[in-house]
Amino acid sequence: MIGLVILAIIASMVILAVFIVSNKDLPHSVILFMGFGLGSVVLFFLFSAPDVALTEAVIGTGASSIVLLVTLLQVRRKEKIR
Amino acid sequence: MSLKQTISIRSIVVSFIVSIMIILLLGILLNFTHGLEPTLGSELLAINVSSTQSANSVTSVVTYYRGFDTLGEVTILFLSIFGVSLGLDSFDKKLNIFSYENTLLKIAVDTLFPIIILFGVYVIIHGHLSPGGGFQGGVIIASAFLLMFLAKGDDFKINHKILGLIESLSGAGFILIAILGLLIIDRFFANFLPLGELGRLFSGGVIPLIYIFVGVKVSAEMTALLEYFIRIKDVR
Repeated sequence: MIGLVILAIIASMVILAVFIVSNKDLPHSVILFMGFGLGSVVLFFLFSAPDVALTEAVIGTGASSIVLLVTLLQVRRKEKIR
Repeated sequence: MSLKQTISIRSIVVSFIVSIMIILLLGILLNFTHGLEPTLGSELLAINVSSTQSANSVTSVVTYYRGFDTLGEVTILFLSIFGVSLGLDSFDKKLNIFSYENTLLKIAVDTLFPIIILFGVYVIIHGHLSPGGGFQGGVIIASAFLLMFLAKGDDFKINHKILGLIESLSGAGFILIAILGLLIIDRFFANFLPLGELGRLFSGGVIPLIYIFVGVKVSAEMTALLEYFIRIKDVR
């Protein structure tokens, strides 16, 4: 049962990764990246590595996506004014 | 509409890559429990309780057996944030890019801010008992400050001199503990404090102290980094 859950998470993560790379809209792709990080959090927790899961939840999903989103907003604003 | 247009080469390549990745991951998963031989990790697990009295063995590996690696990580984080602050300079003209008024958010953030700070402090000081530690708790505290930046706009400002002072003092304290271990016992990052009892808050010798210093340093650095990214030099 738990193996099926792990397989489903891995398959959805692979599909999500393809969507992240092939998406034209960059903020959209960052939000999909957050979903990818959530999948890896659950995966780390199921592989009995709660430390790594906590790190991935805080840094990989939270902080890095916020930095990416804010950078995208800044770059877009500068392009519009030019 | 011909067949060439309906099935593009790109979708074929993408599905090929996806199938290869799924097959590889399946192979890794199926071989996951095979060939688990006694390595350095299992030896460290065996001597963990007797040598450090820390309930979380990951923490004792990160801060005690591999304390030098943690010092390198902290240095890398410091250098990267130093580089960001060099790149995004011109401090006075900076404006918050999220500056819309939302009264509900402003009031709710005042209630949420101390709770998130408290959770971050809990994760830091219980790093040797439960999952978590300095890096995770530091980023949780920085996320509380990020919430304030997003909700309050230009009203919430941070004194960067105090932030830099906190960061440098905690980094110096981290190295000071390592040098004290070198002076009192013969080794860099040696455990010179009493070990205590397994599972108590005051246990593990220098491990909680090291993680508190790392947590303060990481939280100050990440707060500075997030403020650099959110408040940026106005457009030329």
